[in-house]
Amino acid sequence: MLKRAAAVILAAAILLFSAGCAGRTTQNVRFRVVTSFYPLYIMALNITDGVPGIQVENMAGQQAGCLHDYQLQSKDMKNIEQANVFVMNGAGMESFMNKVTSQLPDLRVVDSSEGISLLANESGEENPHIWVSISNCIRQVSNIEKGLAQADPQNAEAYRTNAQAYTAKLSVLRDKMHTELSHITNRDIITFHEAFPYFAEEFDLNIVSVVNREPDSQPSARELAETIRLIRGSGVKAVFAEPQYPKSAANIVANESGVKVYSLDPAVTGENSKDAYLDAMEGNLKTLEEALK
Amino acid sequence: MNAIYSLIDLLLPFEWTEFNYMKNALLAVLLITPLFGLVGTMIVNNKMSFFSDALGHSALTGIAIGVLMGIDNYLISMMGFALLFALCISAVMDSGTSSADTIIGVFSSTGLALGIVLLSASGGFAKYSGYLIGDILTVQPAEIVMLAFILLAVLVIWDLFFNKLLLTSINADLAASKGINTRFVEKLFVIIVAAIVTVSIKWVGVLIINSLLVLPAASARNLAKGMRSYHLIAVFISLFSGVSGLIVSYYTGTAAGGTIVLIAAAIFFFSYFLNRTREKA
Repeated sequence: MLKRAAAVILAAAILLFSAGCAGRTTQNVRFRVVTSFYPLYIMALNITDGVPGIQVENMAGQQAGCLHDYQLQSKDMKNIEQANVFVMNGAGMESFMNKVTSQLPDLRVVDSSEGISLLANESGEENPHIWVSISNCIRQVSNIEKGLAQADPQNAEAYRTNAQAYTAKLSVLRDKMHTELSHITNRDIITFHEAFPYFAEEFDLNIVSVVNREPDSQPSARELAETIRLIRGSGVKAVFAEPQYPKSAANIVANESGVKVYSLDPAVTGENSKDAYLDAMEGNLKTLEEALK
Repeated sequence: MNAIYSLIDLLLPFEWTEFNYMKNALLAVLLITPLFGLVGTMIVNNKMSFFSDALGHSALTGIAIGVLMGIDNYLISMMGFALLFALCISAVMDSGTSSADTIIGVFSSTGLALGIVLLSASGGFAKYSGYLIGDILTVQPAEIVMLAFILLAVLVIWDLFFNKLLLTSINADLAASKGINTRFVEKLFVIIVAAIVTVSIKWVGVLIINSLLVLPAASARNLAKGMRSYHLIAVFISLFSGVSGLIVSYYTGTAAGGTIVLIAAAIFFFSYFLNRTREKA
């Protein structure tokens, strides 16, 4: 009996020990930047392009989408603890991070939303989807660039050059979208998640209604009926779902009211490539031109 | 389908049937609830209400496996996993090492935990939380046809096997002595429960699917005087709470599944008190 107990304890000890030994790879990394989620990761990729010894990590993973209801995993904590700089969106997107960052007094946190005026919904809740507007995105890029330059002064010049180059691309795209969207007469849209107020403000679109404010809950039968009646009684020609969430509710509304469903991308998931945000916005431009012509 | 829609328009010219999604939901409710009422009677008889709950939880793992394998239609992976899961539970129960509720509890929590681990590994559990609550409003015509076939299949099986099922559930030894293959009958029932739970989980939701199976039959047990009335009352209560829950949810703007279950629960308590006063009298 005693022997058997000893064997069990030994086995457990070996298991724990070998699990504890796994990992801890040493890499030749001089400066680690961790971003909270995908849009910031793309910005950081552009700003840090070509800087030697830098590593950019994305905490939430490229498919996590917006951080509503995100649950921190132990690998995220490890990631953040090893970071020199933590870049976050701010504006309440990472409200769950306060407890984490307050425990790590040495961690430099860059809040990319600084200086951006926030929009609030009817109940006074501030909308965190700031990056969907290109102007805000430019502002965020500049905030991140400043934060990185302060934390890593020896590469400040490189960050600035990169940020300027990326900002130039962004403003070219913004101007192009403004020109091409200027002749659209019908500016009424309906969306299925509250990701687009900043985008709509930038391009002067009128969001008639947002069904499903919380994207992972389903609209009730009454909400669907009200939306359908609203569309029938107005000039709305298209409803916009997002590629990140199921289209089922959008399809119901579209079928009943005879409008079309399009996909508008808030650039919150996608490829880990530098041009992902630009590509997503180009796609949105095409979608809007087709949907609202 | 259009003929059915116009029939609904003719029979029920109300505000809540104006849109096709409500007509679809109504049809789905008309097919799912009798199915649940019927199968629920046997679940309550066999003291298996916990078993169907475990199957509901296993659906989450089924979805996770579907996500990992890149299958768009989770029904296949859910169904496969639920069948495997159900037969495993039933096999472990047959071995008689622990009591049934313990074994089911073990499997139920394993299924749920595995689902959570797999789904949150691929980035955020929140995307799949729709499956916890279910959404009857998104049911599609093709799925309604599938439900109709399942209802038909269950009715045929019920007709053929009802006596064997009943005898096995009352006294397995007696059933075996009469030449009934009790193993087969038990497994058949387990497969039926697994099939209807996984098929309807998308619309009813993991959290409340079991209430729909158990509540109508439990209420019917309080009211019924014999086997026949037990079944009829269970199906009727199930239908009634389904349709009225759907209508109430439309006007109050609440989640359809939860509203249906609340009505079924109200009926249960009503039947409970009715039963008690009758006993005293």
